Amino acid sequence: MQGEKREISVDYLARVEGEGAMYLKLDGDNVEELQFNIFEPPRFYEAFLRDRRFSEAPDITARICGICPVAYQISSVNAMENAAGVNVSDGIESLRRLLYCGEWIESHTLHVYMLHAPDFLGYPSAIEMAGDMPDIVTNALRLKKLGNTIMTVVGGREIHPINVKVGGFYRAPSRQELRSLVAELEWAIDTAEQTVALVAGFDFPDFERDYEFVALHHPDEYAITDGRIISNRGLDIDVTEWGDHFEESHVEWSNALHSRLKERGSYYLGPMARFALNAEQLSPRAAEAARSVGLVPGESNPFKSIIVRAVEILFACEEALRLIGAYRLPDPSFVAVEPRSAVGHGASEAPRGLLYHRYEIDGDGLIADAQIVPPTSQNQGSIEEDLRQFVRSRTHMDDETLTWQLEQAIRNYDPCISCATHFLDLTVERSGRR
Amino acid sequence: MTRRLIGIGNPDRSDDAAGWEVAGSVSSWDVDRRTAGSLDLLELWSADDEVVIVDAMRSGARPGTIHIFDAADEALPVGAFASTHAFGPAAVIELARSLDRLPHSLVVIGIEVGDTSHGRHMSPEVARAVNKVSVDLQNA
Repeated sequence: MQGEKREISVDYLARVEGEGAMYLKLDGDNVEELQFNIFEPPRFYEAFLRDRRFSEAPDITARICGICPVAYQISSVNAMENAAGVNVSDGIESLRRLLYCGEWIESHTLHVYMLHAPDFLGYPSAIEMAGDMPDIVTNALRLKKLGNTIMTVVGGREIHPINVKVGGFYRAPSRQELRSLVAELEWAIDTAEQTVALVAGFDFPDFERDYEFVALHHPDEYAITDGRIISNRGLDIDVTEWGDHFEESHVEWSNALHSRLKERGSYYLGPMARFALNAEQLSPRAAEAARSVGLVPGESNPFKSIIVRAVEILFACEEALRLIGAYRLPDPSFVAVEPRSAVGHGASEAPRGLLYHRYEIDGDGLIADAQIVPPTSQNQGSIEEDLRQFVRSRTHMDDETLTWQLEQAIRNYDPCISCATHFLDLTVERSGRR
Repeated sequence: MTRRLIGIGNPDRSDDAAGWEVAGSVSSWDVDRRTAGSLDLLELWSADDEVVIVDAMRSGARPGTIHIFDAADEALPVGAFASTHAFGPAAVIELARSLDRLPHSLVVIGIEVGDTSHGRHMSPEVARAVNKVSVDLQNA
């Protein structure tokens, strides 16, 4: 194959959220060019936020994504409360965590079963998979629906929840409302356990990389809504220090900013990073399920992220059940937040990884500047390095097989392209589609 | 049996609002308005429902052209119903077919769109089609 020039181009990636593409140019075994291309138009959310009231951020940013609106809401309220110097009660924190569990269940189930599993099972999509495995897909839909139901009960609405406000919740659900979720959660824990076993049985390409895993870490719990930003290479910073250690830059082939650690370059966010850094804090059955399939913290085969995602579904179900069991109606359901001229930083663990927000608020409570750094933007560097390294030992494959595996490698990250494309400083002349 | 109308469209993307607008002007059906055709569509109907979905469509025909598909009987044309979500309406319908979860009847009305840029500038020919589909459904 030495010297043979090949181009592999996927113009429209299937089974990812949003519009992306991939381009690979090979000269024999040499990778001449490789791009993970995000061409969905930028969405200018940071610009929309300017001059809006600080209290509007959770509702405006929730519209960025139909899959992970809770992540945007929680990162934004964290940032606003940080700016105002306010702490919320444990009860409110618990309710936020429960809401977030709903989002993890919903988003992870969608990805594990409907978007990623077909890659491993050799189906072009979940539609064909459903024909052969109707029970499994039906269970997946029921599991996903449970995530949506939690978001509806706690968040007021399943797609773009409306109950979250800076300082807490407009209305806290009653114990009775939450208890209506218990029976389904008990079913879900068993089903999620089976999911871990199912996906651990897939065939995984032989591939590992030496990642810097970055995730939130909380001293008392598997971090979701709060914590310090840590890594397996010694990073341990407060969220307010994000800008001291990370930087964003524009590359010409992507409408989403790339992020890098200033000192060490690309890094890895998402379930595998959280598992690498926080596995000891998993719930009992999730920890046992991981152990039983031989999953070890620090696993660095990105294709095995599907197993970690399944473990996190199980964790989120157990955690939701625990939170409901311990629930005491927070009264009041929010604390008053008086804005002041300040900069606020907030982060949380979106299903796809760390989501960072930063806002400058003026003395009237208006947003003077906003920065939103979604996990998919941050993972772009890692995705491209995966593809580059993955392809080197597979240049002997025919185009069709290679393309399939490269697309699968992108889907390892559960990329949410719509989330990634809302940075400010680029003009794109292109009419988009929904 | 419930007569259920599902209108899909983004009211802030000009012609793409077609399905959204139809659903907003029909009162004689149980109506759902959705800004995107995602997997959750599956949860909207029951086995014995009579369902009509109205969505924007691009097949290359003139904007304002109305296409009607009996989706209970045949798959929708590939790629004509655009969605940036991993599961667009056509995929959801096929998934429902695989799982034997289609409603009793399912008609998809596609309104051919032209300009889907940001804003609320529905072209006159698409607006006429929206009006015709709305009146027909209201009186059906």
